[in-house]
Amino acid sequence: MSTNKFTEGRLAQAALDRRTFVRGAVATALLAPLGGSLASCAVPSGGGGEETAAGEMTADNPFGLVEDSDVEAVIFNGGYGFDYVEFAAEQANGQFPDVTFEVSPSTQIAQELQPRFVGGNPPDLVDNSGAGSIGFNTIADQLEELDDVFEAPNYEGTTIADTLYPSVKDPGTYNGRFVALNYVMTVYAVWYSASLFDQNGWTAPATWQEAIDLGAEAERAGKKLFVWGKEAATYYQTMALDSAIKEGGDEVRLALENLEPNAWSHDAMQGVLEALHEIVQKGYFVPGGAGTQFTAAQARWSNDQDALLYPSGGWIENEMKDATANDFQMTGFPTPTVSDSPTLPYEAIRAGAGEPFIVPSEAANPAGGKEILRAMLSAEAATNFSETRLAPTIVRGIVPEDGFGSTALVSQTSMLDAAGENIFNYQFVDYYGMNADQLVVWNAFLSGDMDVKGITDGLQKISDDIAADDSVEKIEVS
Amino acid sequence: MSGTSHPAAPGGVVPPVATPRPGNAPGPGRRRRRRRISFDRASFFAVALLLPLTVYVIFVISPFAQALYFSMTDWSGFTADMAFVGLDNFARLLGDDKFMRAALNSALLAVIVPTVTIVLAIGVATMVTVGGSTTGGVRGVRGAGFYRVISFFPYCVPAIVIGLVWAQVYDPSRGLLNGVLTGIGLDGMTDFPWLGDSRTAMGASMFVIIWSFVGFYTVLFVAAIKGVPGEIYEAARLDGAGRFRTAISITVPLIRDNVRTAWIYLGIAAIDSFVYMQAMNPGGGPGYSTFVISQDLYQTAFSKGQFGYATAMGVVLALVTLLFAGAVFLVDRITGGRDDVRGHA
Repeated sequence: MSTNKFTEGRLAQAALDRRTFVRGAVATALLAPLGGSLASCAVPSGGGGEETAAGEMTADNPFGLVEDSDVEAVIFNGGYGFDYVEFAAEQANGQFPDVTFEVSPSTQIAQELQPRFVGGNPPDLVDNSGAGSIGFNTIADQLEELDDVFEAPNYEGTTIADTLYPSVKDPGTYNGRFVALNYVMTVYAVWYSASLFDQNGWTAPATWQEAIDLGAEAERAGKKLFVWGKEAATYYQTMALDSAIKEGGDEVRLALENLEPNAWSHDAMQGVLEALHEIVQKGYFVPGGAGTQFTAAQARWSNDQDALLYPSGGWIENEMKDATANDFQMTGFPTPTVSDSPTLPYEAIRAGAGEPFIVPSEAANPAGGKEILRAMLSAEAATNFSETRLAPTIVRGIVPEDGFGSTALVSQTSMLDAAGENIFNYQFVDYYGMNADQLVVWNAFLSGDMDVKGITDGLQKISDDIAADDSVEKIEVS
Repeated sequence: MSGTSHPAAPGGVVPPVATPRPGNAPGPGRRRRRRRISFDRASFFAVALLLPLTVYVIFVISPFAQALYFSMTDWSGFTADMAFVGLDNFARLLGDDKFMRAALNSALLAVIVPTVTIVLAIGVATMVTVGGSTTGGVRGVRGAGFYRVISFFPYCVPAIVIGLVWAQVYDPSRGLLNGVLTGIGLDGMTDFPWLGDSRTAMGASMFVIIWSFVGFYTVLFVAAIKGVPGEIYEAARLDGAGRFRTAISITVPLIRDNVRTAWIYLGIAAIDSFVYMQAMNPGGGPGYSTFVISQDLYQTAFSKGQFGYATAMGVVLALVTLLFAGAVFLVDRITGGRDDVRGHA
């Protein structure tokens, strides 16, 4: 403000006017876009993404990817990392030098992408995995069907469908539409240290009675049979389900998947739960799992060797890479059975494709998303994945005899081979997002606070509540 | 642009918020002009009132209104489509055992966490300001500055870090706590899962929340106590009041406005508690004993894809919070608190 006394009043006035004018202008400038955003807050009317015009489809370009277009992929950055997709994107870039591929990581898929789905501009490819993944019952009908990816030739010229394990479409098919391409072949088994078992003359138990006997052996050696962590208590549910399905066959699986009443009370399931309850009661679990972070619990098995066995998917070796004792020789075996004569043979295993990749229908460049998938399913990128992540992909014949030096990878492929046709899978837990509720029940059961009836009722209630909820879209499994 | 100029107010009466005056001596003519709606005044109102109001409406009121609307729809959260379902979501909440359990836990937190935190914070604040030696001037205990600083430390650590660190401290076999307890001969504590036992999980979680807040509220109360004239404490001491009596009869009544504010802030933080609970027991704890409304909301929205229902939970959470604040004001009023600024002693 001026201090010139002569013109003080006027000047003040003028300054004020100028100032108010400027402020007014600023206000208008601020208000204009705000007013616009008020109208379109939170729920825009959809269809915002700019569609890239489809290019010509040729043998080399099966999805009609347009030159000079941009492709965006958002990849769950979990146990497998996300750079294997970057590797595949580089391969795709080799085929399409003028296309820009962008691969970005995320650990919270649902939170990060929810506004983009609502806004109608989701990325072209998403790895919808991890604890923060989007439930498939919510988005299945907003996704592209991916059958044409399997019908396309890979970069070696072979039709992709001919290079894959059987029934890999199943886990990504919802109400008859194949919308999620599950990339990683996951084998569910019980894992142990082959070197430790050799030293003590122990063998992997084939039935629950043998497992209980092994628990007594472990106790004599000052060890426990099992260990669990609070976020992973339901790994024991997976093991129980697998064992019950082997004992009772498909009827057990279908009853559970279709949320039927009393599905958890089936004799086969009860047999497994009773065996587990006995193991808990005998104190063959490392105590305090309900208060232990799960990787810390897993380290007590893989590093400290306080427990002999751990049920998990094939990702366990990669996950515990930095916390595994030297010469551990991690090896898997099929889940023990209830009786000597189960409906499915002992060798039967749960195996299924995991890590679902999706291409949203409203994405700007769906052809680009599919092109990355095509690159991932070609030999070079698939080999890169198996070699660096020590896990099989859905592409057959990629893992060599020595499993890139990994005993766990070798045992996964040999279990797959031994099982032959007796491979099964189920997804009701993930599909309906039941895991969070089931964790609470399983933590209580494994802590010894709940008997067989308690856990049966608890799990049945979770299934019943979903079955009774009309707002949840059901999938019929047969 | 106040027309009359205030003399320096000696009686503790605070003048109305002073706005800078353009020019330093407004004449009588200016006084009259003030009443006309000039461009000046209109633009001033536009800038000083309308703009903030607009921003407030856009960023505060409209999300509230939208949330209220979403809570009455079956929105999945991943499309732009939704159907209006009226109050169905709220009716469903009443029959939802898990939500009711979460609401109960949140209520428990709202009662216990602020009470314990404030009692502890007042205790520490008293000791470091007026609880020192009873001879000589009124002062804090020896090393008061040191205690004040270390009590503030936890507040400098982000809540998520606090949650993760304490989850490790509580680890049954490798945790610091059981290590110390078994080390001093309490063998019953071997492998005891503090966060995995339904009897202790809530208590252990509350302890962490309180631990993280005490320092900050200590500093707040220290500042309030410093505003109380030292003569009052000297007079109380001459009358023979001990430390406890002084704290109860002198300190607390004189800083009750601060206590009330602290109670409301703490209550809001405790009703939420999301970060702590998610870090220590992401699944809701044994038998849902540490499951809070905000976790239920998060699970329902993001892993179950039921944003409409989750928003209804959010609306209830907001109402509970408002009710809590209202209850604190009511209790304060009933027990003799006042809103107006009148000298305290």
